[in-house]
Amino acid sequence: MSIFRDLMWFFKLERKSYLTGIFLLLVVALLNLLPPYIVGIIIDGIKNGELSFIKLLQWVLLILAIGILLYILRYFWRIMIFGASSRLGKLLRNRLFELFTKQSPSFYNQRRIGDLMAHSTNDIQAVESTAGEGVLTLIDSITMGSIVIITMASTISWKLTLIALLPMPVMAWLTNYYGTLIHDRFFKAQEAFSNLNDKVQENISGVRVIKAFGQEEAEKEEFRKQSIDTVKKNIAVAKVDSLFDPTITLIVGISFFLAIAFGSMYVIKEELTIGQLTTFTMYLGHLIWPMLAFGWLFNIVERGRASYDRIEALLNTSPDIIDRKDAIEEKPRGDILFDINSFNYPEKSNPTLNNIHFTLKRGQTLGIVGKTGSGKTTLLRLLLREFDLQDGDIKIGDYSIYDYKLYSLRSGIGYVPQDHFLFSATVAENIAFAKPNATLDEIISSAKVAAIHDDIMQFQDRYQTKVGERGVTLSGGQKQRISIARALLMEPEILILDDALSAVDAKTEEKILKALQHNRIGKTTIIATHRISAIQDADLIIVLDNGEIIEYGNHTELLALAGWYKDMYNRQQLESLVEQGGIFNE
Amino acid sequence: MSNIPNIENISNQNTFKRLLLYTKPHLKKLSFAFAILLLATGADVLGPIIIKIFIDDYLTPRIFEWKPITLLATTYLTLLITSVTLNYFQLLTFNKTALWIIHQLRVDVFSKVQHLGLSFFDKSPGGSLVSRITNDTEAIKELYVSVLSTFVQNIVFLVGVLIAMLFLNPKLAGLFFLLLPVILLLMKIYRHLSSKIFHLTRKKLSELNSKLNESLQGMNIIQAMRQENRFKKEFGNINQQHYSSKLKQIKINGLLTRPAIDLVYMMALSLILSFFGIKSLNSTIEIGVVYAFINYLDRFFEPINMMMFRLSQFQQALVAAERVFGLLDEKDLAPSKEGEGRPTITEGLIEFRNVTFSYDGKTNVLKNISFTAKPGETVALVGHTGSGKSSIVNLLMRFYPIKYGEILIDGIPLQNFSNEELRQKIGLVLQDPFLFVGNIKENIRLHNKKITDQDVIEAAKFVQADSFIQRLPNNYEEAVYERGATFSSGQRQLISFARTMAIKPKILVLDEATASIDTETEELIQTTLKKMRTGRTTIAIAHRLSTIQDADLIIVLHKGKIVESGNHQELLAKKGLYHNMYILQQGITDSITS
Repeated sequence: MSIFRDLMWFFKLERKSYLTGIFLLLVVALLNLLPPYIVGIIIDGIKNGELSFIKLLQWVLLILAIGILLYILRYFWRIMIFGASSRLGKLLRNRLFELFTKQSPSFYNQRRIGDLMAHSTNDIQAVESTAGEGVLTLIDSITMGSIVIITMASTISWKLTLIALLPMPVMAWLTNYYGTLIHDRFFKAQEAFSNLNDKVQENISGVRVIKAFGQEEAEKEEFRKQSIDTVKKNIAVAKVDSLFDPTITLIVGISFFLAIAFGSMYVIKEELTIGQLTTFTMYLGHLIWPMLAFGWLFNIVERGRASYDRIEALLNTSPDIIDRKDAIEEKPRGDILFDINSFNYPEKSNPTLNNIHFTLKRGQTLGIVGKTGSGKTTLLRLLLREFDLQDGDIKIGDYSIYDYKLYSLRSGIGYVPQDHFLFSATVAENIAFAKPNATLDEIISSAKVAAIHDDIMQFQDRYQTKVGERGVTLSGGQKQRISIARALLMEPEILILDDALSAVDAKTEEKILKALQHNRIGKTTIIATHRISAIQDADLIIVLDNGEIIEYGNHTELLALAGWYKDMYNRQQLESLVEQGGIFNE
Repeated sequence: MSNIPNIENISNQNTFKRLLLYTKPHLKKLSFAFAILLLATGADVLGPIIIKIFIDDYLTPRIFEWKPITLLATTYLTLLITSVTLNYFQLLTFNKTALWIIHQLRVDVFSKVQHLGLSFFDKSPGGSLVSRITNDTEAIKELYVSVLSTFVQNIVFLVGVLIAMLFLNPKLAGLFFLLLPVILLLMKIYRHLSSKIFHLTRKKLSELNSKLNESLQGMNIIQAMRQENRFKKEFGNINQQHYSSKLKQIKINGLLTRPAIDLVYMMALSLILSFFGIKSLNSTIEIGVVYAFINYLDRFFEPINMMMFRLSQFQQALVAAERVFGLLDEKDLAPSKEGEGRPTITEGLIEFRNVTFSYDGKTNVLKNISFTAKPGETVALVGHTGSGKSSIVNLLMRFYPIKYGEILIDGIPLQNFSNEELRQKIGLVLQDPFLFVGNIKENIRLHNKKITDQDVIEAAKFVQADSFIQRLPNNYEEAVYERGATFSSGQRQLISFARTMAIKPKILVLDEATASIDTETEELIQTTLKKMRTGRTTIAIAHRLSTIQDADLIIVLHKGKIVESGNHQELLAKKGLYHNMYILQQGITDSITS
């Protein structure tokens, strides 16, 4: 029940809704007591022949009035309580989303998106139902239950109430016992189901092997066996599950029996009228729901507790990349100074970068080459402050990048990452991602520089073509070029291309590079790549290996070194030839 | 928009019929359960009548003869226990039947999927397939449970109550029948209105989730381009829309479900009271009848509430059923045997004659491919990614149907062989050695009963996997976990070699069998491969040219065409594409550029 205390902040926030809702629930519980009472009076009236038409009409109209009133009240408490609990879901979802936008890549590296999604859907659902159904069952079971019992005891007969309620604890005990029984069986059934799921998963992933070895029939047989196993485990659950209803019927039936048997004795002794006895049995009927609600409550609360703990743990993670106190709001510009002594990713002991010291003049183009895992991307991510340096500094102009506000720093950098991610929106919206109010002309001119304009004009709806799952399927090269156009539209002071031309053919690459040279005059461009052709015109080229600079200079200087760079250059020349199906001495 | 629900309704009806057909094999059991249900309901419904008799014949007139009263009491309790026991059994039977029906449905879908062609798997994401076979069928379970249990039971119970009322007072019972159309109308309106709002809420929820999912995936872009606030706003908007439609759902539920049914209850209660009250003004009334009616009234509305509650689940299950039946109706089957006779593969002579092939019917990935692999020879396929090497293997394995040209084995068209013959005589080794959960022995033998334990060990020895398997704590019984994660890639590949050799194939197909292997184990694997190839016709796709230098024929592919062919020496002498590829892999680049 501590979950209700933890959610108190929300109940306070929605004070009005909850107080009104609970108040309405109480009124409903009280009003519900009236019809049985009236029934009792009318029956006694009939029996004693004291009923007049007017009296009857009055009573019946009263019942109808109560009915209509109840209808209205029931409608409103639902809106109050379930409405508020839906708002809790909305609130938590927004909070989680806000939190997600503040977290750095290291947060995402430690967690799977599937888990984060689960927190935002299932867990919120569970908490929501605690604040809705949970509150309802709590109020109903406690207040309605006690109101009915008190009324039975005080207005009719406390002795009869005691007798009639005798079997009820047995019901509580039995349903609780079934609950524990079913818990284990349910767990096993779930396990069987998840095994079945794994089996199908394996079957689908291994479809080639299965077909190649003609294992289809055997697989069917195995699946059939597992499915039978699942059925059997579920039947075990059903065996207990089917006990609930009959048990409740039995206990309630006995309760009724006791009420009638002993009630009749009191009627004979004239301690009770027949009308009162009828009222009494109707009240008994009103007790079934609070009993059930009580059992249900525990279930809801248990799930809500676990889910809320997970959500809270998530909400309490503070972002690790934050602005310094006196950070400046200026757009970064100027020479870039890399002054890195060493850097290692959190939770990794050996450094990813070592002794990277060089300056890139404003307006120059930097090429970074090296093997996969040599540290190219890491260097760029440091510049973007996706991770923070512990030992060393990076400066843009006169200030360290840590002196800029994160928001300002990133306003100066256009980033084209390796994994070109596009959003499900139109092509135009994707290109105008960083500047949603860009004009179509701006969008088109960026697209032209990125050599994607002609492709786009081939699409059915041109710039209004939808991208993503339900839209057009783009090739890797097209996606890359769109994400280049996206970064170009920002007209950033610093443009970063992280292996962003890998899926583009040589001709297009050349075209883009030419257009870039023209477009980026006076602005800094950084290109990390596997392909030497992409950076041979750069003002400065660094070759990284194992996180260190092993070669440094421009294309001509590096060729003259006759080292890794030259070797790579030759290989790639040949590779492109082979790719084109070419023969060398043609 | 107005058309969509219409189409859905039509297919809903079909789906519903098909779902009902699944109950056919269980009709006997179901009728039995139905009979029990009738009995149990009868016993249940009789209870209030007994109390009525007690009140009217004994309590009101104050006649106390212990014998009949005890008899009444015992009858009441006996009926109670009978109905409770019977109810337990019918509940269980209905539930069990629902589970077995789902089992059948699951096996049917799974079996169907086994016979679908690879072209189907290419275009369907694996995750959604899995979800159809398991989750969607699970959702349909709800439908059977709700239809079989909730609806049938509650309707039977309602009928029982109505009959009892007829027996007690036909006139009043007649008035009750008037309530039924009101309730049915209420249900119809609710179903109509709620299904729209329900769909809207679901749609909003899925929008919300896909927005979240997309944002999480693209978070580094959102942050790098400083669009956090815009996304927060967009997400907030969808969140708000979701909330509004949910609120609508709450309102509709509040207006038309329990509160409305309770209002009808109050109306019915007034009806009964007025009826008896007015009657009592000029004649005497049996109080017991009033009691019984009020009691029945209470019980009358519980089933209706239950049914209303189940309506939305019912809707959901129908959608799931539609998806499952869609898969069952899939027509993209795997190619199978054509023509008469049962030809067998004895020699292993493979001929490709003018084979042209396309996956999508638009772009040809193989263009006019012809070559012959003589029995016992090794033919290697080399070329860049996308050159068509794997497509040749896919066709030879009969994973896809051939449209143009012919593939012959021992002079007989490929499509004339039975599946069993092909799978027994052609052994395939894949680039990614897929291991099944189980143990090593099971992974080598698969489900082939003809392969003895001795055969398994021999196959493992043959591929030199025996020594590492012997060193494992449980030898051949060593457990294999998901995807064989506990073994190195070399070990996994050796196990898959053994699997292939255990069937003693005539023809061996190697699809980049060494691509995913570290250099240390490669040597071991190379010698094993050589051993495997001797005496078998082998078609090998090679990533590393060094592995196929001794092939009898090397075919160089480029963009779906054969551009060069010959043996290693001949091809090197040609100084063509193969030569360049070879040099590139050898790393002797200086020799050409300088």
